[in-house]
Order: sequence, then C-alpha cells, then structure tokens
Amino acid sequence: MNPVARISLIVAYAVLALAALGRSSYQISTKLSEAPVPYLVSGVSALLYLVIAIALWKRWAGVALIGTAVELFGVLVVGTLGYVEPSWWADETVWTGYGSAYGWVPLLLPLAALILLVRERRARAARTAASAAATSGDAR
Amino acid sequence: MDVYTGVVYPLVLIACAVLAVAGLAALAWPRLHRALTLITPAAFVAAGVQAITVVTLLLSGVDADMILALGYLIASVALLALLGIGRLGTPEAAAGDPDPSRPVLSPLQIARVDAAAASIVAIALAVVSWRIYVILETAA
Repeated sequence: MNPVARISLIVAYAVLALAALGRSSYQISTKLSEAPVPYLVSGVSALLYLVIAIALWKRWAGVALIGTAVELFGVLVVGTLGYVEPSWWADETVWTGYGSAYGWVPLLLPLAALILLVRERRARAARTAASAAATSGDAR
Repeated sequence: MDVYTGVVYPLVLIACAVLAVAGLAALAWPRLHRALTLITPAAFVAAGVQAITVVTLLLSGVDADMILALGYLIASVALLALLGIGRLGTPEAAAGDPDPSRPVLSPLQIARVDAAAASIVAIALAVVSWRIYVILETAA
C-alpha cells in the first residue's frame, strides 16, 4: 500500500479511536445502566478502531482486513437497525445513522481501507505468483 | 464566558479552517509543505489558549459537565500530536528504530502525509471545540 495512504488511514483511525474511546469510556463508566447496548457497541467500536490503527501501523494486513470488514458490517447493521428498530436503542452509538454524528466517516473509512487492503493483497498475490513462476523457470 | 464564546472559540475555528485549507493545498501541491509547517504552530497556540480558557472557566464555577468538557479538552490537545507525523518517516528517524514495519518516506511523501494529517486534525479539532462550546453554552 502507498505509505501516504497507509499513514493517512492510521491517522484517521487514531482520531476515530480517540473520539470513540473518550465517548464510550465516559458513557460506560457513568451511565451504562441507562442504555447498555448502545454504550457497549460504542465501546466495541472504539476498541476496533484502536486495533485497526495498530494493525495498519504494524502491517498486520490480515488483522486490518478482518477489522475493517467487521467495522463495515457493524456500521451497516447498527445503522440499519437504528432505522428499523429504533426502540432497541435508548441512546446513540458511534455507528448510529451510519456514523452521521461523525460526518459518516465510520462508513466511508472502512470502505476506503478495504479497497486499499484488498488491492494490496491482490498485488502481493500477483508478485508471489510471478516470483514462483520465475523460480520454476530458472529450475528448468 | 464572553471571552471564550466571543474570542477564543472563533479563534480556534479560524485556526482549524486555515489548517484544513493549508493541508488540502499541500496535499494537492506538496511544494506548499513549507507554508503548512509555518501555519501548524497556530493550531498549537489556538488549542493551548482554548485549554487554558476552558480550564479557567471550569475552575471559576461554571456549572458544566466537567468530566465531559475535560475529556474533549484532552482530546483536543492529544490530536495535536498527529500534526507533522510525517517526521516519523524520515530516514534519520527510521534508522534509530529496530521496528522493520516502520516506513521510510521520501520528502514528497512526508509532505503528503503531513498535509493529510493536518486536514484530518483540523476537522477533528473543530468538532471537538464545537462540542466544548456546546457544553459550556448549555451550562451558561
């Protein structure tokens, strides 16, 4: 992956992790009983952002790919359930309204990350295949 | 309170706007990186002035949610660490780190990373400052 894109993603995820960690730790520590599901979802999303930021930094491509896929799934499910079953949500989460409170960044960021990670994975697979073909050609 | 709402808060928003524009401009034209590095200290000053003002207000007995306000305030200061993050990719910085996943960036890439980080931080800082403003406004 282009290092500029990678570091930009790390910065974006670090900012989101900071925002979500601050919000959820406050909500969980002070008023968890009022809306346990939304506050725990926010807590999980905060941890996920942190894991993805670290995985991108450490080049743990598999962890980053799974993390962003889970994040996208979470945003879509929570966002949709927020409209379908509003009574389930006593308060907003980071992913409510597909992340509208955060400028829809929670929806757009995993899409961008997934595109870049999948592209990188394909490029790596192509390089490995080309290298293997060259090695077998040399052996003959 | 009037000093915060009338002077400090608008000052922070102006600093964020200038930083965001400079970041986007440097992203498009990396030659403007030098201008971005000159503008970056303004964000530090604005966030610092905001921190001092808000802490003074909270200590002077404003009936605001102190934990929440301080949380956002800490976030606004923590965000500043991401400004100029491209410096971590210089060959000198990477040479002293045994971490093999640490990227080494060219000057052009450093300019682009700094520009992207400045844009993201500017938006996040503006949002965090707006949240602090809302908390203090509600309390007033």
